[in-house]
Amino acid sequence: MGVRIRLSKQTLTVLDALLTRPGQWQHGYSLSQSTSIPSGTLYPILMRLEKLRWLETRWEEAKTPGRPPRHLYRLSGTAREWARQELRAAQERHFWKPAPSEHQA
Amino acid sequence: MSLSSQGNSVTARFARWALACAVRHWPEENRAWGLALAAEVDETSSASETVRWSLGGIMFFTRSVVSSAWKWMKLPAGSSLSEGADGPDAHSLLPKRSRVFTGAVLAVAALLLALPEGREAIRTVWSSWEGYQESGSDQRMLDELTARAEKEKDASTLAFVALSTIDRAHAAALTERAVALDPQFIWVYGARNHGQRMDPPRAEWLARLEAADPGNAVPELLAADALVQPRLSAFLMHGGNNAQARQLLASDATWMALMEHAYAAPRYDSYLQRHIQLARTIWNREKNLPPTTVLYGIWQHAFPNLLTLRIYCDIRIQQARTAREAGDTKRAESLLEGLDTFGMTMADANGSELEKLVGFAIARNANKEMAKLYQEPGKTEDARRVAARLDQIDERVQEMRLALNPSRNARAEAFRKEAELVQGFGTLAAIAGFATLAAILLLELLPGGIQGTKSFWRRVACWVVDYGPATLLVACGAFLVSFLPFQSAFQEYRSSSFRLGDEQVLTDAMGSLLTIPEYVVGVDASVELWSFVTIALSALLLFVLVRGFYRTRRVVANPA
Repeated sequence: MGVRIRLSKQTLTVLDALLTRPGQWQHGYSLSQSTSIPSGTLYPILMRLEKLRWLETRWEEAKTPGRPPRHLYRLSGTAREWARQELRAAQERHFWKPAPSEHQA
Repeated sequence: MSLSSQGNSVTARFARWALACAVRHWPEENRAWGLALAAEVDETSSASETVRWSLGGIMFFTRSVVSSAWKWMKLPAGSSLSEGADGPDAHSLLPKRSRVFTGAVLAVAALLLALPEGREAIRTVWSSWEGYQESGSDQRMLDELTARAEKEKDASTLAFVALSTIDRAHAAALTERAVALDPQFIWVYGARNHGQRMDPPRAEWLARLEAADPGNAVPELLAADALVQPRLSAFLMHGGNNAQARQLLASDATWMALMEHAYAAPRYDSYLQRHIQLARTIWNREKNLPPTTVLYGIWQHAFPNLLTLRIYCDIRIQQARTAREAGDTKRAESLLEGLDTFGMTMADANGSELEKLVGFAIARNANKEMAKLYQEPGKTEDARRVAARLDQIDERVQEMRLALNPSRNARAEAFRKEAELVQGFGTLAAIAGFATLAAILLLELLPGGIQGTKSFWRRVACWVVDYGPATLLVACGAFLVSFLPFQSAFQEYRSSSFRLGDEQVLTDAMGSLLTIPEYVVGVDASVELWSFVTIALSALLLFVLVRGFYRTRRVVANPA
């Protein structure tokens, strides 16, 4: 992993959402729905994580003809443990806390 | 609810269309992310959700464009982001400095020139190259002044514009308007130069001026000039000499009567002082007014024709001589004393240096003739008085000559040196600015034409892009610093209490700026340029002939 960056609250929320179903591919829209982060903020975060190689991406084949292929995201194997550590550290610093609905879920 | 159920909403369709447009123009290096975001829009469950998603997409697009532009700016001119992954192509020559550096230096230089001081410097130097003719921007400024003055019924500004504008018909209308608003500006009738080939001053204006300013010689002198000016100009243009001109004018009884009356007037005021005071009052009020506009009006101020003044003096001296020879000493004395009085009145008036010198010349000629009159025995006292008067006149003329002699005038000399710096740095800044822009355009717009090569022109362009902006910045700074004495002369003139001599500082400052443009566009420079071209071409021809001769000899010696 190596490279460490300062994580914003929104990035931590995205990491938290990606960790809820680790290893499972998720769409951008569903991530936006689950985190309540608007598309204009979510995609730069995803792009940044992908550039740091913490995020794996792939294109999904279009299920309906005429619709464009959709992009899928999940945390890479090594990034998952690191993300958990970051979330824990952020919680201990009282910098970030998980959304209640997510916990209940 | 998915797209199928809400997709027909106008708002949703517009939002999707905007997002599609953004994707089309998305920067190449992360367009995939734009496509990913756009692909999700079909999943939105309501029209408002579609709009929010699309707005987010537009924000992301804007951010990507800005980020991409910043990356592009960090590369040198002539390179593109597509070659940025592995750095610029090693085979193509590129400038060493980034676009950010070049842009920042150019922006600082532009900022310096955009400061009020910079704008004043540019305006002044630019107009020195135009020979202080009224430029389009000057005319616009005068039009704005006129419109405001008309609205506020401001007679002084209208009078100023009437004296400063080139348009004669407009000036006449403004003069009438200014005098109608405030009759104390009636002097403007006699202050605008109508020039030799321009329209003569209106007779009714001069009549009104005479009535309003009785006892002043100038309105009558102007009326006398208007009477004979066209005839006299045509006569002199066709080779007539001064003696013939004297005969021509002496035969005109009306002109002689007007001149006699003017010479007998107790005062001489060509309104120059009032004109300068008006110009300065307006300049203090309108600080953005270019000095060229202010000076144009002053430099165009109307003076009585100094040649006809001298001719009338010569006619009267000739008449005095004839009277003396006929034994009518009293008449000779009366004629010469009249000339002396007028000459000294003119010299002591608040006029220009030239008017003073002409006044002294008239008085001196009259006194010289008077000295001949008092050579007879028994007139020793009168002869001594005349000799003392002549000494006094010579002394004052000498003082004025010293003051007017540019080579001995330290202030004018200092301004001339500073003007060379201003013009030099201004020219350097202009060359550096144009060369830099041309080199940047060459590298940016024609990358295919010269990219990948190490041609001479590409080397030159890269060198110019590297060093041009810094040269421009330094030249702009030096230009502004060297312009400071001129700026302080303008400031000093605007803030000083009025004296006619103050105007001389301004004239020295502006006159010195004209020296270089006059030389460059003048005859001397043309002669030197064509001499240089002729010598260079002759040398080239000689070189070609000598080379051809030796080659021929070699071929003859070694035919194989």
